[in-house]
Amino acid sequence: MTSRRRTRLRKARAPVSLAEKMAAPGPGEYFSVGSHVSCLTCLGQRLQGEVVAFDYPSKMLTLKCPSSSGKPNLSDVILVNLAYVSDVDVINDRTETPPPLASLNISKLANRARTEKEDKLSQAYAISAGVSVEGQQLFQTIHKTIKDCKWQEKNIIVMDDVVISPPYQVENCKGKEGSALSHIRKIVEKHFKDVESQKSMQRTQAQQTQKDSSLSS
Amino acid sequence: MKPQAGGNRKPGGSNSGAAAASGTGGAGGGVGRQNIGRGRNNAKGPSTAVALSGVYANMRMVHVLTSVVGTKCDLKVKNGLIYEGVFKTYGPECDIVLDAAHRKSVEPNVGPRREDIVESIIFKSSDVVVVHFKDVDLNYAKKDNFTDSAVSARLNGEHKEKDLEPWDGGEQHISGSMESLDTDLSNGWDPDEMFKYNEETYGVKSTYDSSLSSYTVPLERDDSEEFLKREARASQLAEEIEASATYKARVALENDDRSEEEKYTAVVRGERELHSLNRENKYIPPSQRNREPGMSWGAGRQNSPRLVQCSPGPPAPRSGPHDYNAMDQRVIISLAFSAHPWPSRCPSPSSRPPSRYQSGPTNSLPPRAATPTRPPSRPPSRPSRPLSLPSAHGSTGPLSTMPKRLSSEGPPRMSPKSQRTPRPHRVASCRGGGPPPPDYMSQGASVEVSAPPPTRNSSSGGTWSSVVSGAHRPRSPRQNSIGGGAPSPSCLSSPQAGTVPVDSATASTTATSPTAANPATNLEASPIEEAKESRVLEMRQNSPNANKENVKPIEASASIARSIGKGPPSMAPDHRKQIDNLKKFSVEFRVSLISLPLCVFRNSEKSTVDSTGPKVPMESTISEETSTAVSITPTGSKSATPSLSPSSAVPEQKRGPDVTSQGFQTTSSLANAAAKDKDEKEEKNDPVAESVRKSTLNPNAKEFNPRVFCSPPKPATTPTQTRPQGQPSPSIVVQQPPAVYGQTMFQMYPLTPVSPGVQVPHMTMSQTKPYRPGKVPNMPQQRPDQHHPPGASTMMHPATAAGPPIVAPSPAYSTQYFTCSPQQFASQPLVQQMPHYQSQHVFSPMIQGSARMITPPGHAQPSLVSSSTTQYGEQTHTMYVSPTPIPQQFPHPSSTLHPHPQHPQPSATPTGQPQQGTQHGGSHPAPSPVQHPQHQAAAQAIHLGNPPQQQMYSALAPTPPSMTPGPNPQSPQASFPSAQQAVYIHPQQMQHGYNPNHMAHVQQAHMQSGMVPPHHGTPSHPPTMMLMATQAPAGPQPGTLNPIPVSSATHYSYTLTPVQGHHQQQL
Repeated sequence: MTSRRRTRLRKARAPVSLAEKMAAPGPGEYFSVGSHVSCLTCLGQRLQGEVVAFDYPSKMLTLKCPSSSGKPNLSDVILVNLAYVSDVDVINDRTETPPPLASLNISKLANRARTEKEDKLSQAYAISAGVSVEGQQLFQTIHKTIKDCKWQEKNIIVMDDVVISPPYQVENCKGKEGSALSHIRKIVEKHFKDVESQKSMQRTQAQQTQKDSSLSS
Repeated sequence: MKPQAGGNRKPGGSNSGAAAASGTGGAGGGVGRQNIGRGRNNAKGPSTAVALSGVYANMRMVHVLTSVVGTKCDLKVKNGLIYEGVFKTYGPECDIVLDAAHRKSVEPNVGPRREDIVESIIFKSSDVVVVHFKDVDLNYAKKDNFTDSAVSARLNGEHKEKDLEPWDGGEQHISGSMESLDTDLSNGWDPDEMFKYNEETYGVKSTYDSSLSSYTVPLERDDSEEFLKREARASQLAEEIEASATYKARVALENDDRSEEEKYTAVVRGERELHSLNRENKYIPPSQRNREPGMSWGAGRQNSPRLVQCSPGPPAPRSGPHDYNAMDQRVIISLAFSAHPWPSRCPSPSSRPPSRYQSGPTNSLPPRAATPTRPPSRPPSRPSRPLSLPSAHGSTGPLSTMPKRLSSEGPPRMSPKSQRTPRPHRVASCRGGGPPPPDYMSQGASVEVSAPPPTRNSSSGGTWSSVVSGAHRPRSPRQNSIGGGAPSPSCLSSPQAGTVPVDSATASTTATSPTAANPATNLEASPIEEAKESRVLEMRQNSPNANKENVKPIEASASIARSIGKGPPSMAPDHRKQIDNLKKFSVEFRVSLISLPLCVFRNSEKSTVDSTGPKVPMESTISEETSTAVSITPTGSKSATPSLSPSSAVPEQKRGPDVTSQGFQTTSSLANAAAKDKDEKEEKNDPVAESVRKSTLNPNAKEFNPRVFCSPPKPATTPTQTRPQGQPSPSIVVQQPPAVYGQTMFQMYPLTPVSPGVQVPHMTMSQTKPYRPGKVPNMPQQRPDQHHPPGASTMMHPATAAGPPIVAPSPAYSTQYFTCSPQQFASQPLVQQMPHYQSQHVFSPMIQGSARMITPPGHAQPSLVSSSTTQYGEQTHTMYVSPTPIPQQFPHPSSTLHPHPQHPQPSATPTGQPQQGTQHGGSHPAPSPVQHPQHQAAAQAIHLGNPPQQQMYSALAPTPPSMTPGPNPQSPQASFPSAQQAVYIHPQQMQHGYNPNHMAHVQQAHMQSGMVPPHHGTPSHPPTMMLMATQAPAGPQPGTLNPIPVSSATHYSYTLTPVQGHHQQQL
């Protein structure tokens, strides 16, 4: 496959000149799948990752890099337009042939796209209804574990059973006494705990940076 | 350039796409898929390949981008703004479509307000700097979620792979218990033994009390009169009860020692078998039944039928079991022949003139016939397989030598061998177009026999028996044989076709065969002649091989003999077993037959040996004898056909499609065969006259001619009609194996008109047997189609048949294609279809690409189709953001909607879009909020016919009431004055729309299949309707649009068809 791609690329090269900004990555003038590449966008962002795909005619390069949130099973995918990129550097070339492509479940993908969109829209509704940031955050947290939650005015309705009204504290969770309510209370409780810890973390970090800066200066 | 979304953006691009497709198999369009799916090597040719343009041609890019669909991403544009949205799809130019996108504000953690969110935005790739997908699970949509590799890949942290240990079968038990089970005659454990064993081994003491004191109370006896009275009374009652008939019946029921099988089986077994079975009342696996010496006939018989039955289920023509089954059948048939009183029947074996044999077409049959003759002579034929047989049977003196030889050669072996060989050939043939006729032949012959019976017999073993009986009857009753025999002739014919090169060989064979054909003649023939015949038969069987090698008949025979000799060792142990079983069975069978009038036993060996042979003779004889096979005389193959058609219409139909497919696959050689067939057809066209002539040629045949005449004209007529039609298709196919779709379609057409019966003959003519083998692979695909209404089935079959070879890999493609086909016929040039295809590609590059990747060749096609369709709908919507979605919501455009042509049709949209793009690029290099209006204008310009567009718009605005009331289409623009991209803001996109659409598509596909046949019948109106239906799924709107060839021609064509349909509908 590689060889074929190569020839194709060469053919294509004649009519289309390379983007000026695009530094030739190497003799091949293309990126082989699996190699590691870094580049600098015209917006000053440094990108680095493993080449997953590269389309010469459109000058689009797809990189895969470790997840920015550090989750092991996930990864970030970056689609770069090489027309706006400079300083392309091939860190190391592919060592082995790329794995075959697995077939994809399109309907699954389509569903994901739909639900993501709906979620975003429903969230936007809530936001435009004037829900506080805390409320939004809480909603997101709950939504992660319980999909069946929605906004009703400014209240969060979970499983049509539990209503969380502003200011969204544990005591604001109301509903039929039962496991559902207690469970949601736990979630809410934990959420605020996490938020607190995050804040404190940030504070300490900020302090540290301040210290560092002061020290360095 | 951009305007043509789907189009040919750069020569390099499209070309490369095609190249990639063919080469990479997956990168490219349909071709790539096909290759992958079918595993065929031959590229169907660039003509069929739909070039994927732009990014869509890049397999890996498509894969990656597709696998991140539905994730949130941050998209940076040139001016540094960041948009966040759900990645929806991408265009061939790598334009990015984000759903529910909003401009990211500086402050984190603040979600977008509803007003900030745009339904979907198309970012041109030239404006995109970076798209960042965060925390993506690239395995999310992988289909193989449960393969080992997939599971292990998802494991967190360190998981040592578990070392797999081979199972050695439990050494401890193997030696002892397993064997003991076989030899153990007792039927399980006695309860006391169990108790004892448990106590000794495990120290478990049973509390079982035989007095059942827990449940009842012991009777206290006393001598009182009362008690005695009661006792007497009780005993009396007991006697009465026990004497009653009902009681006895019930007890008998309860204590019946017979096994369930014995009680309820319809198969009558010989006493011996019963004995053996009853002996232990223990279940004996069928495989072992024959092993036991005591089993003998009855058991053998039983087994064989069962086997046959089983075979139908799993249609693996190549599989060993099938072959064996076939063998069995053949053997049976041969036996039947043997049973026949040859001498009485055979009018004049010696009389046959060589010339008559040479008559050619007939030849094919005759060989088989010859085979049968031998079989009759040698009941021992079974031995042929085992080799030992000859001795056992004690064939008649003169013949014996020959038979032995023959037996050693073992036609049966040949058949298996040939079967094996076919595979490789097949593949090659399919791909290369080089038809491996010989292989087919051989396969067909061997396989066929087995296959046909199953189909007919589907459920009951009884059928099988009936077949056999039929075989026997032919001699006496002469009637039934046809059904059983029919398949075999076809087999023969097929070989001939395949053999074309070998003609000389065939001819020789045929010459001999005639003898076979006319059993009567054969009978009289001297032993020497018989020997010759047997040779010929062998030759024939070998013919496939011979053909390949172009060996002359004699040589071929020799080679065959060699091969046969080799054969036995090569055979797998299982095969041997089976053969043994067969032998037994044959012996048994014989025994049973013995009762029948057995005449002379000639080289029965040969008959047995040639699995195919026996059948053929049967048929030939039958046909001749029976008036039914009117046309038979002229050509053996033909004769077979007619008989077949009546008997097995359904199976035949099924075959039909296969045949066509095969035809496609097969190349020049097939063509030759086809040519032959044609000739035959021609001959047949005047069946009566032809038959008469031929008959004149054949002294023996003459006698039969009158019969032919006498026989109901129906059979004759049918063959004529059918053949011409059926044949053309194959011939066409053959000629143009690589066939363009359009061509295929044509082929299909001929087939369709033909009724099932017609197809059958066709099948026979070309290569019935080959079908079988081919059939099996195809079957799965066909299945889905078959769900369609019965009427549709015919159509579908051809379609399927055509589909698999050419389009095969992707069902979706095929379906669509087919859908189009009606349109073509309706009024459009063939070429248009292609465009249509392309257009689809363009629109749903994602889908297609994904489909490609997704679809494993054989895989759940229906699902695929559906998914693709959905995507298609979605994509179109997204791509052409604004209006489309709404119209879709109303898949069945309500009356209101209809009047307003909704311009956002998928087809229309693309055109419009590209234009927009151009405009955009030119006039508004950077930001252009105005685009929307422009777009509209453009659209309007394009679709002059649609005045309502504007209305549409207004209408649209209200439509999204669920969303924020505020935004009408233009509002978004206002909100994003600064937006640089050509953002086509859509007020709202309805997700729900998809489903309906999707559904519609699916339904359509089905509908189509169903519809097609009628379409053929009535080209004008029904087709249009068809079109409508088809189109509807794509988008109800398209119909509304006035097709003005503003955009690319391709799109246009697509649009056109729908339009027509639409109009018609309205009218």
